[in-house]
Amino acid sequence: MPNVSKRVLTGVGLVLLAAAAISFPSLAPNPYILSAGIVVVNYAVLATSWNFVGGFTGYISLGHGALAGLGGYATALLVTKAGLPSFVALAVAALLVAALAVPIGLAALRVRGASFVIVSIALVLILLLVFQSWASFTGGSRGLVVPRPFPGLLRPEHHRVFFYLFSGLLALALLAWWLIDRSRFGLGLKAIREDEDKAESLGTPTFAYKLIVFVVSAAFTALAGGLYALWFGDLDPVFQFSILTGSYLVLMALLGGVRNLFGPLAGALIVGIALEYFKGQFGNTPLHLVATGVLLGLVVMFMPDGVLPALGSLVQRFRKAEQGSIREVSASELLAQRKREEVRQ
Amino acid sequence: MTTSLETTDLRKAFGGVVALDGATVSFRHGQVNALIGPNGSGKTTFFNCVTGMIRADSGRITYRGSDIARKAPHAIARAGVGRTFQLCRVFPRMSALDNVLAAVRPGGLAGGLRGARHRAEVDRARGWLTRLGIEHLAEIEARNMSWGQQKLLELAGVLMGEPETVLLDEPAGGVNPALLDRIGTLVRELNAEGRTFVIVEHNMDLVMSISDHIVVFDRGRPIAEGPPALIRTDERVLGAYLGV
Repeated sequence: MPNVSKRVLTGVGLVLLAAAAISFPSLAPNPYILSAGIVVVNYAVLATSWNFVGGFTGYISLGHGALAGLGGYATALLVTKAGLPSFVALAVAALLVAALAVPIGLAALRVRGASFVIVSIALVLILLLVFQSWASFTGGSRGLVVPRPFPGLLRPEHHRVFFYLFSGLLALALLAWWLIDRSRFGLGLKAIREDEDKAESLGTPTFAYKLIVFVVSAAFTALAGGLYALWFGDLDPVFQFSILTGSYLVLMALLGGVRNLFGPLAGALIVGIALEYFKGQFGNTPLHLVATGVLLGLVVMFMPDGVLPALGSLVQRFRKAEQGSIREVSASELLAQRKREEVRQ
Repeated sequence: MTTSLETTDLRKAFGGVVALDGATVSFRHGQVNALIGPNGSGKTTFFNCVTGMIRADSGRITYRGSDIARKAPHAIARAGVGRTFQLCRVFPRMSALDNVLAAVRPGGLAGGLRGARHRAEVDRARGWLTRLGIEHLAEIEARNMSWGQQKLLELAGVLMGEPETVLLDEPAGGVNPALLDRIGTLVRELNAEGRTFVIVEHNMDLVMSISDHIVVFDRGRPIAEGPPALIRTDERVLGAYLGV
């Protein structure tokens, strides 16, 4: 019975989510709110993509911002230098980043825990230096302008189209995460998260598993980064290769719940909206970073498993209270119970 | 009697501490073998080297005639060697059933994407849980189980991988006498079905009652071997254990 109600709840949640995604562009009061919505959905795609590695294997990467940046620059350069159509460039860029993720993963996934975090940070810093220094190719600090894929569209219409494109990509990432979650491969990954040596001793080729899921994660992250490049139209290495991006993704996933399909999405909604609010209210001050830090602290202290699991256990607690051990038993129930016991004896 | 697992001149040092000092040992196929010795004599290091968890400095390790010294732990497990750990290791936030299902090895991409709770495998996993007497805990997270139940769960997971040879590292550690009997009986039953066992254990009653062949370690190398009756009276063994 609990499984049925869980399925019903998931189904209702999915329908509501789809309805919200479809209606948001029409309900948004102005193009700014619509563009903020795109930023939040982009965060949701990135956090869900991050959760392929972080959620399944427990490897905390702060370097996913770099993979998004690579996706963005690869898409932009394929459009501007190779003359590929925008969405062909996006697909090729995702494949290129996935291919590049193989040697990156081969090096980075050899270490665990804090060492992996440091390696992932190094990836961001190295790529920042490369893309800043190689100005003749990447535009360096002057930035790189990306031609719009739909030049005939006015700005609000442009935002509307991209909101749906990002939502479609989010749906694809969620579907892929769900498929892995219920698979044998996913069970092997979760075993790695719990105890990597034990998983290996049971016959799971842990390194291959980690590498495969890292490549899948990199491909989705690159797609999000590339789509962002096509939407925003201007890339700067300082923003594309930022440690902050990776940190936001970790916070979003942890806040929502890394073991939950919709955890990173929930976290992205909370953190993304909060970031936009703080930036809108207080401008370009570091206040939004302070708020982010406080939020991370609160999550770690009070909801280490995230918001969704915390809500889930709250519901469970209420249910248990309803089905408490002390309840009135009618005389007929008592009689029937005694009869059953007599039959058993 | 054919040899199952064999090591030749196996050496492993941790800095200046020599854990294995030229260990040459062979365990017999189809038997319950025991590996005993005082604390720090190199028994667990031996298990770790044989299962690929740590790499030996030198020496040869063969399993049923094939060299496995340079193989990864998962490859050794797939070759047919399963193991438990001295400090029981389960996947704490996974259900007991998933703990056992985690030992299923998917073949290729299609196999990997198949549902983890495939009917036939779930039935097999439940079968092992039933045999070990913990089927009623199938959907309970392993972290909520008692130490003894976790020990049984760990063993169920290993057996789900259908290993030909099972290495048990202190199966009696921290378990109550009733459970100890159950473990002993189970080892004998599984051995009768054709599985080879190598058991590291300090509980001499258990070792003497279930073993066919005993190897005694001291200071990283074997000092005696033979059937329980012989080992019980061996002066070198008494010396190593009691210092007499």
